[in-house]
Amino acid sequence: MIEFRNVSKTYITGTEAVNNANFVIEKGEFAFLVGSSGSGKSTLIKLILKEEEPTSGNIIINGKDTTFLKKNRIPYLRRSMGVVFQDFRLLPDKTVYENVAFAMYIVKATPKHIRRQVPMVLSLVGLSAKAKMYPNELSGGEQQRVALARALVNNPSMLIADEPTGNLDPDTAWDIMMLLNEINMRGTTVIVATHAKDIVDRMKKRVIQIDKGNIVRDDKKGGYDSEV
Amino acid sequence: MKYNVISYLIGEGIRNVFKNKKSTISALTVMFLCMVIFGIFFILSENISNIMNTVEEAQGFSVFFNLGTSQERISDVGEQIKTLEGIKNIEFISGEESLNEYKEGLGERGSALNGMEENFLPDAYKVTLSDLSLNEQIQQKVTEIVGDDLEEIVSGDDEIAIIMNIGKGIRIFTLVLLMILILFAIVIISNTIKLSVHARRKEISIMKYVGATNSFIRWPFIVEGMIIGIVAALIAVLIVGLGYNAIIPGLSESNIVQKLEITFVSFNDMFNLLMIVYFVLGIGIGIIGSSISMKKYLEV
Repeated sequence: MIEFRNVSKTYITGTEAVNNANFVIEKGEFAFLVGSSGSGKSTLIKLILKEEEPTSGNIIINGKDTTFLKKNRIPYLRRSMGVVFQDFRLLPDKTVYENVAFAMYIVKATPKHIRRQVPMVLSLVGLSAKAKMYPNELSGGEQQRVALARALVNNPSMLIADEPTGNLDPDTAWDIMMLLNEINMRGTTVIVATHAKDIVDRMKKRVIQIDKGNIVRDDKKGGYDSEV
Repeated sequence: MKYNVISYLIGEGIRNVFKNKKSTISALTVMFLCMVIFGIFFILSENISNIMNTVEEAQGFSVFFNLGTSQERISDVGEQIKTLEGIKNIEFISGEESLNEYKEGLGERGSALNGMEENFLPDAYKVTLSDLSLNEQIQQKVTEIVGDDLEEIVSGDDEIAIIMNIGKGIRIFTLVLLMILILFAIVIISNTIKLSVHARRKEISIMKYVGATNSFIRWPFIVEGMIIGIVAALIAVLIVGLGYNAIIPGLSESNIVQKLEITFVSFNDMFNLLMIVYFVLGIGIGIIGSSISMKKYLEV
């Protein structure tokens, strides 16, 4: 599903963000990507999303080498992955329903399809009752659920979450993580970049740890930092 | 289903226009002013070329024959001149006619000339040209045709040259002005769209993550630029038209205009051309301006 082959990334500024990364995340897997800030975690996510190009090496997504993907094909690659961020990135002047439907407009879905799909995904994240509310009327956890609904509405084969619980209190963070787990159970590959040590420890999922650009650990059922 | 996407993109464009009211209004104002300035010069140049045409129509030269040249010879020469290229009209004025005109000009004192038996004024052709640029060439040919019977050719060469230069100058000036105004308007519009894009950069980044194509992201902003251009064009044509129709009647009655026998082009005659120019400008500048400002933001 996602394969990194000898991938390195050095920014123009000279920063070596990723150094010879090798790993495979299979279809349907749930993987944590952990590491302190500045470790190269965000760069790994950006490389998957093709926001950044690797300096060397190959990245294979869904069986296709994306290294030489043409610029105008990138939007179609991104349609196969849903993304959520720490800061939710919702549109403040659109309702919950519109925020989710927006993602479907963009991929030119039919109105009929939109009317059927949006309520379904809102019920999956438990927000059916709040469809007509605006983001500023929602709690942080609810806003992240909207972001999740938006990421999932086009049925991507994988979900990438960059610090999804960074702005949430521990209980809410755990609820979101449980929701991610449920999404994973339905067959979507889930990759979560996070700092949240306690959550990683509790989840007992695969952990890929990156430090100063190097993959230092890849544990099938690890905690945040098993050596300590 | 296509229709749905198109109406969504146009709807977003219209939303942009109202979302960034300040920059929309400033762009609209500048576009509008550019168009009005252009409109004024356009109308000026249309009127001047209209006046030029009337003046040009009367331009030409007179060919005077030696006294005693036979009428056969004169009419033969007339036929030959008629066949030349660039001749609009040729009119025979006999010596007697010239004399009578001269007498009328003298008024009462003209009666002093009544006693003269022999006419001392020569017969002549008054030649008017359809193409002033051929003036010199035609005069030379006429000289050859008339040959020894020519007394002299009298013409307003200098006036012809001045008229042609003024006409050319105004046309060039209007064109240069148009170029400058177009560039200026493109800069202003692209700046406005830049602000609009900046205000929606969050939305654009979300669109990119969800997999929107660049053209999908670009269209609402192009629509925004086009709307500003079209609205500016409509207001400009309205203001210029009303202004022109308000000023012209008063101007036509003024003494100088009456004396110079100037007639103005009616706004209706210019309306179609002006409208086409305005819409092409408005839409074209809107599209170019938006495309320029989008370029940077789409390279992620």
